[in-house]
Amino acid sequence: MKQVFTALALGTLFVGAPALADAEVGKPAPAFTLKDETGKEHSLAQYKGKVVVLEWTNPECPFVKRHYEADTMATTLKGFDAKKVVWLAVDSTAHNTPEKSATWKKAEGFPYPVLQDAPGTVGKAYGAKTTPHMYVIDEQGVVRYAGAIDDDPRGKNDKKVNHVKTAVDAVLTGKPVPAATTTPYGCSVKYKSS
Amino acid sequence: MKRQQWKRFGAVGGLGMALLATVAWAELPASAVGTSAPDEGDPRVEAALLVDATQVKPGDAFRVGVRFRMDPGWHIYWKNPGDSGLETEIAWDTPGSTVGPLQWPFPHTFRTPDGFIVTHGYDGEVLLFAQARAAEGATGSLQLSAAVEALVCEVHCIPAELMLTRSVPLGPQTQLDADAARAFDDAQTKVPRPTADTGHMVKLALDTPQLKAGQEFTGTLTVAGPGGAPLPALEADFFTPERIDGVERVTLTSAGPGRFALKGKAEPDVPTAEPRLTGVLRLGTKASGYQPVTVDVPLAPVVAVGAVAGAPVVKPPSVKDSIAAVKPVTAVAAPPPVAADDSVGLGLALLFAFLGGALLNLMPCVFPVLALKAYGFTRMVQQEHGRVGAHAAAYAGGIIGSLLLLAGAVLAVRAGGASVGWGFQFQEPLFVAAVSAVLVAFALNLFGVFNVGLDGTALAGKVDQSHGLLHSAGEGVLAVVLATPCSAPLLGTAVGFAFAAGPLTVLATFVALGLGLALPFCLLVLVPGLAKKLPKPGAWMERFKQVLGFALLGTTVWLVWVMGGLAGVDGMARLLAFLVAVGLGTWLYGQAQAQDGGRKLATVAVAALVLVASGVVALRFDETAAPAARTSTVAQAWDAAAVDTALAAGQPVFIDFTADWCLTCKFNERTVLAREEVRAAFTEHQVAFFVADWTRRDARITAKLAEHGRAGVPMYLVLSPGAPDKPEVLPELLTAEMVVDAVKRAAECSPSRRKEGSNILCATAGLPRP
Repeated sequence: MKQVFTALALGTLFVGAPALADAEVGKPAPAFTLKDETGKEHSLAQYKGKVVVLEWTNPECPFVKRHYEADTMATTLKGFDAKKVVWLAVDSTAHNTPEKSATWKKAEGFPYPVLQDAPGTVGKAYGAKTTPHMYVIDEQGVVRYAGAIDDDPRGKNDKKVNHVKTAVDAVLTGKPVPAATTTPYGCSVKYKSS
Repeated sequence: MKRQQWKRFGAVGGLGMALLATVAWAELPASAVGTSAPDEGDPRVEAALLVDATQVKPGDAFRVGVRFRMDPGWHIYWKNPGDSGLETEIAWDTPGSTVGPLQWPFPHTFRTPDGFIVTHGYDGEVLLFAQARAAEGATGSLQLSAAVEALVCEVHCIPAELMLTRSVPLGPQTQLDADAARAFDDAQTKVPRPTADTGHMVKLALDTPQLKAGQEFTGTLTVAGPGGAPLPALEADFFTPERIDGVERVTLTSAGPGRFALKGKAEPDVPTAEPRLTGVLRLGTKASGYQPVTVDVPLAPVVAVGAVAGAPVVKPPSVKDSIAAVKPVTAVAAPPPVAADDSVGLGLALLFAFLGGALLNLMPCVFPVLALKAYGFTRMVQQEHGRVGAHAAAYAGGIIGSLLLLAGAVLAVRAGGASVGWGFQFQEPLFVAAVSAVLVAFALNLFGVFNVGLDGTALAGKVDQSHGLLHSAGEGVLAVVLATPCSAPLLGTAVGFAFAAGPLTVLATFVALGLGLALPFCLLVLVPGLAKKLPKPGAWMERFKQVLGFALLGTTVWLVWVMGGLAGVDGMARLLAFLVAVGLGTWLYGQAQAQDGGRKLATVAVAALVLVASGVVALRFDETAAPAARTSTVAQAWDAAAVDTALAAGQPVFIDFTADWCLTCKFNERTVLAREEVRAAFTEHQVAFFVADWTRRDARITAKLAEHGRAGVPMYLVLSPGAPDKPEVLPELLTAEMVVDAVKRAAECSPSRRKEGSNILCATAGLPRP
């Protein structure tokens, strides 16, 4: 009987309470409003109705460098319908500045904004641990994927599985995401020590 | 290009190290040392390929490893790097010798200043090594090369790649390199050892039988030293988990000597295999000396939480979307046993459920209610002819309604991620207490201590029809409540099928079951002549009613005994105390019925107070206080590993899936399994007899039942050593003959016997099950 009550209680909780901490798969994504490298504001709410991909990034991290040399992120984004999918990079590095992000964006030539989160509040709300650390949020604002960009931490496999591509494709076609969480790999996010 | 550069670094670093190193290392060849992770030209790690012998005899064992030295503040990672980082990797290329798995000394835990990111690894110096063995026929010298990949981090991270090589001459004797051997021995003491070697006892008790995908879980890990010795004191970061498929995180906190509170969270995806708690535990302190051991105990199966995975719970936007969202949910919500018994179609399952429901009426648990109803019915037929149909409908309604409630509960619990079986509610002490209380109150009612729903004044008057109907419905509910522990023949398969199937099937099966259970009364109504054959009412009915009260008390005795199994002697005493209070409360209520005005109210209030107070005081059950599974001298507690051992030893295996609250099980055990001839057959065929006790929740037993398409006990399995993967499932109602035959067949199929030329067909497909 205890289990029945637990089940009922949990059921009510899911319907009633929004997620309080950590972006958890199956739960509403934490809301945020952040400025990008040009000072323009982006909020999660404004992208409701679109699939949102969040990429925690840090241009100084060797793992991020490797993926940008290989154009992993831009190529992945190109594979999606631009009307249905929004890509946002988030930099929670304590010592990052909008200028640094702008220079990096110019050098790498990618199309999406780099959201500025030097205080680390949004990063910690999502529980972002590594760079890169990826999240896919569906049209209703529910987290559907959290984890690594692909299954190849060392950058050595010829045939890698791009988890973000798989997740976004699944969300767009109304299917369950086959691997809803994977272990992210990379450098730690260099949060402000508070 | 890069490789070239590093090699050059390597040469330089090697030279530097050779100069720095003590005499013994002086002969370390330049190719065996290297540096990497250049931080603006300054390498952050030095590595050296070490071997514990200067000469190896072909066929002998030796040790080989890579020693890392990091700059202060820099570290490399353990096999589970934690929140970030990358496992250090060493790929061996060793023609002429084989190298075993990498041995990892107990890791250090690193935390960012805010504690948000936790990683595991090594700073300063570490030797990651492996056992190796030279091939028997090896000649010349052994070439050893290690390709090292590591991520070296301080705040920022630099990847390191190294290729270290050296050769070791082969010779007539293995000659140890004393200094190197000391370094290996030293590293070896830091490598956690399996508890099987150290003699430590590790036991894990989870608070839930299953892990729910994406949700937290808790439990208690108890660790005892060899021979039950108390554990030494611990330091912080004493436990580091490995990466566990299906588990997002798990932590241990000390909760008294040898006890650890376990907290974890399952990943949202259900893993393919049942996760195990694997990790390393460092016992002792720096002062007392460390003793690292490995922990490897089964956790519990992870089950999906229906509503979370695919469906956005926030707002289902349109019908089309809802359908799309619902689909994955049903796919997820159906637990693995679905396929277990697809030989039973829906129609057949419904038929079995109906027949099973009808048979339930004859089971000892329902019979008292049935008799009671028959008594009431007799009176009714005389008093209110027109209402017979209505009462029968109310009774059937009560049965079907409460069965649907049960089905709903099953679905809810299943959606909540737990797996349940027939009679699952009897695993809950409070439920057992509640049913006992209802039975006692009912019995006292029959003795005339008080009257239900009727005031003393109204008693003589016309029977309140709505009350009467409610009464009938209530009896239907009681019949269902009491019926569940009696898993009648046929019912097991049908309910097992239903539990594994979709929600609609569950509901349909339960309705069929209810119709079956209500059948005897429906018949009385539908067949006109039948009702007239009932005996005429008279004074005998009052006496019969009181006799039935004793039958109900008898059922209560059984429930009290069930409570003993759940919550021990204390639990039984608490229940009995509560039942006495129930008696007192109902008696007071009966007194009140004869009073009037304020006094009546006061008496009723006192009665209610007595009930509530005794409930609060007495109804606290400590499930852990229950005695360990009772096993007779011949039976062993069921354990999959022990079963395998017995089968491997060529013994046939008989497994009795039972529970204290399952009357059918107890009946089979008393009348069949305890019989001389059955015992003799067991001894003759050296049958290993296992008892799987489901009295309290046990996820492993639930899973095993589901594997055979069952949702409840009893279940009887006979396994033959000749065909261990094809167990024979015996019917729910056993006969001695059946059991003896089954174990005989199983014994004859054992490989040792088959050689003797037995022509028995050994691929036991199992008896055709209902």
